[in-house]
Amino acid sequence: MASFTPYTYFQCPCTDTSTPTRNLGDEQPPETEENSDDERTFDPRAPRSNYSLYPLEHLFYCEDCHQIRCPRCVLDEIVTWYCPNCLFEVPSSTVKSEGNRCTRSCFQCPICVAPLSVSSLEAPPEGLGAELASQQNGPFVLNCAYCMWSSKETGIQFEKPNGIFAQLAKIKNGGEPILTAKDRRKDREERKRDFSGSSAAEESQENEAPINLDPNERLDPESQFSNLKAFYQTQMAESSPVSALGFTGDYGYGSPGALSRIMGLYTGGSYADKKSKTKSGTMREARDALEGLQIDPLSDEDAINKLRTEGWESTASAEQRHEQTTHTPFLSDLRPVAYLLRTKRSKRCKTCRHILSKPESKVQTTRFRIRLVALNYIPSIIIKPLQPILPTASPLLAPLNPVQFLLTFKNPLFDSVKVTLATPAKTPGRFPTKVTVLCPQFEVGANTDVWDEALRDNNTKSSLSGEKRRTKAEASEGQHQAEAGKVWERGRNWVSVVVEVVPPSLRIEDSEWLKSEEMKRDGGEVRDGEEVVEIPVFVRVEWEGEVGGEDSGLGGGGKDKEVREKRELAYWCVLGLGKVDVD
Amino acid sequence: MSKKQPKGEYIETDTGNKVSRRSQIIGTTNIILGGKTVIQAEVIIRGDLLRTYPASNPSEKQGNTVAVAIGRYCFFSRGCELRPPGKLYKGQFSHYPLKIADHVFVGPSSIIEAALIGSHVNIGSNVVVGKFAIIKDYVRILDGSVVPPNMVIPSFSVVAGRPARVVGEIAEGEVDGMDLREVYRAVGNG
Ligand SMILES: [Zn+2]
Ligand SMILES: [Zn+2]
Ligand SMILES: [Zn+2]
Ligand SMILES: [Zn+2]
Repeated sequence: MASFTPYTYFQCPCTDTSTPTRNLGDEQPPETEENSDDERTFDPRAPRSNYSLYPLEHLFYCEDCHQIRCPRCVLDEIVTWYCPNCLFEVPSSTVKSEGNRCTRSCFQCPICVAPLSVSSLEAPPEGLGAELASQQNGPFVLNCAYCMWSSKETGIQFEKPNGIFAQLAKIKNGGEPILTAKDRRKDREERKRDFSGSSAAEESQENEAPINLDPNERLDPESQFSNLKAFYQTQMAESSPVSALGFTGDYGYGSPGALSRIMGLYTGGSYADKKSKTKSGTMREARDALEGLQIDPLSDEDAINKLRTEGWESTASAEQRHEQTTHTPFLSDLRPVAYLLRTKRSKRCKTCRHILSKPESKVQTTRFRIRLVALNYIPSIIIKPLQPILPTASPLLAPLNPVQFLLTFKNPLFDSVKVTLATPAKTPGRFPTKVTVLCPQFEVGANTDVWDEALRDNNTKSSLSGEKRRTKAEASEGQHQAEAGKVWERGRNWVSVVVEVVPPSLRIEDSEWLKSEEMKRDGGEVRDGEEVVEIPVFVRVEWEGEVGGEDSGLGGGGKDKEVREKRELAYWCVLGLGKVDVD
Repeated sequence: MSKKQPKGEYIETDTGNKVSRRSQIIGTTNIILGGKTVIQAEVIIRGDLLRTYPASNPSEKQGNTVAVAIGRYCFFSRGCELRPPGKLYKGQFSHYPLKIADHVFVGPSSIIEAALIGSHVNIGSNVVVGKFAIIKDYVRILDGSVVPPNMVIPSFSVVAGRPARVVGEIAEGEVDGMDLREVYRAVGNG
């Protein structure tokens, strides 16, 4: 049995919990509850809860809204694009023109995703480093040091050790050159000039284009796309002159006229009518490779033959195919994968648009200009079993057996805070856990530094509102029994309280009177996750902070006590305490 | 070895390093420890795997006597191993230095053959970091990952798998938790 690490998740208030949710297997959506917001218990197992619970480290705090913000209620803004392999920054204009992959020499293995390094075929075969290639002679290949794949296996070699991206764009698997888009465009223009007006049959027979493009050529996907695109652009320009519709033909799909014309492609079939292209308003379809049409009855046959001779082993896995941009059924079709660029992003509050986090733009710097994380504003909660678990004991919780946990609240603010906890007596769900917080209301001291504390202790003890302070020593000596209404232990800016839970029995066949209402309605097997004891806790934090808000968390506290205002923050938390023994 | 350890588990150096008496540190003269670093039992550090290939520029020459350089507040858990990476270059095999910055945690039984590990890096248990990998600051490598040779891991990455790939990002709030000063202070000499 795997060990269990207790956890605390915080709910971001951005989720709308008022919409009723439906459990899997429910026949009808549950009736909307009549209760007011305050009375409703948050159910950590509700399907919607998954999307609103976060560890404290993942949350932000907006100082303007005075509210927690989660990854779902912030806006990301890209600050910098960079390659995760060579760590070069890529200007966003380049990203727009060249796409979102590294165009230097950074590639991932198409078999296993490990990085590929360039090495010379003349170098000793064990050579690993990419940086040494400059002094060596070609040809060069891309090698994977993890699975030992080499681009040589797909017939790809390079003349130079750098600029691999550009070189790869010109080589097909097997080593044949790829015609560049420019060459193709030139060919298209020639054809248009020479054969405009001639019928389709003549066209393909008499075709003597300068670079001799074969109309039955098997195109690589990029070329096919660019051919198709060019074809449809001419079609649209011809069938509907620019002047009439007012779009330039490039990407002018926006106007209603253009839209209806595109729809016409699918509804008004133009296959039958050979001369249709001369009639205004109708368009024909591509009819050969030069126009981007690929009818390849051979490819299926080839694929079957290949499967027959080389077997299943030669096919690419779903995962491998997913990394590729094109259709690659066989391992021999796979191409080295250029690294996807990564971004540095700043985050804004979705509600008020203030910046919550802003990293330095340079790729190699890890500093933040702004970083308003919830960690610096709301108390963290650490869970520990009150009685230490012996290494020999089962890490599971015994059903129906009371067990006590210690919750330690640590205050990051420079002001002391009053914390109020509320839990349902029984957790929601089919197997309810009974919960009692022994001390649901307490004050946690300010996060001043040690010297501040020493000074304050001499002057005023007001911050602790007269509560008796118990030192660590006192706690361990005397009281072994947790007492209701009393804090278990307290330190400078932290307080521990005891929570007692009675885990449920997960036996379905328990006698009827032991069963919860939910269980009577919805019997059946123990579902995934139901053995975990999760306690919803409503936390209310109140304090007096400096007016202005700007630096209530980070600025020096306690300097100026004249302008202060009452602050309050309340949110749901989920405590994951342990797993129940299913016997 | 005697059956009983009369002294503490750790030898403490002037700069506050805590080195387990049961660790194996080979070639100590070629190892730099920045201070306040914890080396647990059964950790192996191969300072003997020194660079033999001559450095091209003279400024690197004095660095040739360093096989493993470790910064401050690093923590090497039980049974992990640090080995300088090696490769054939122009027909000659040589090791190259392994450099580790500050606040680097290495979990139990992990093997590290990186060229460079930045600051605030957390490496889980049973991880293999392949030869000449470069790990930048604020990176977490989950248990059981195998980081392939030559991989570059940019800052704020969460990495997992065999071979390892980036599976997530370090959240803004996780940054503070990667400081290891508290961890160092918690190490007693029992
Ligand atoms: Zn949110
Ligand atoms: Zn790159
Ligand atoms: Zn590979
Ligand atoms: Zn806001």
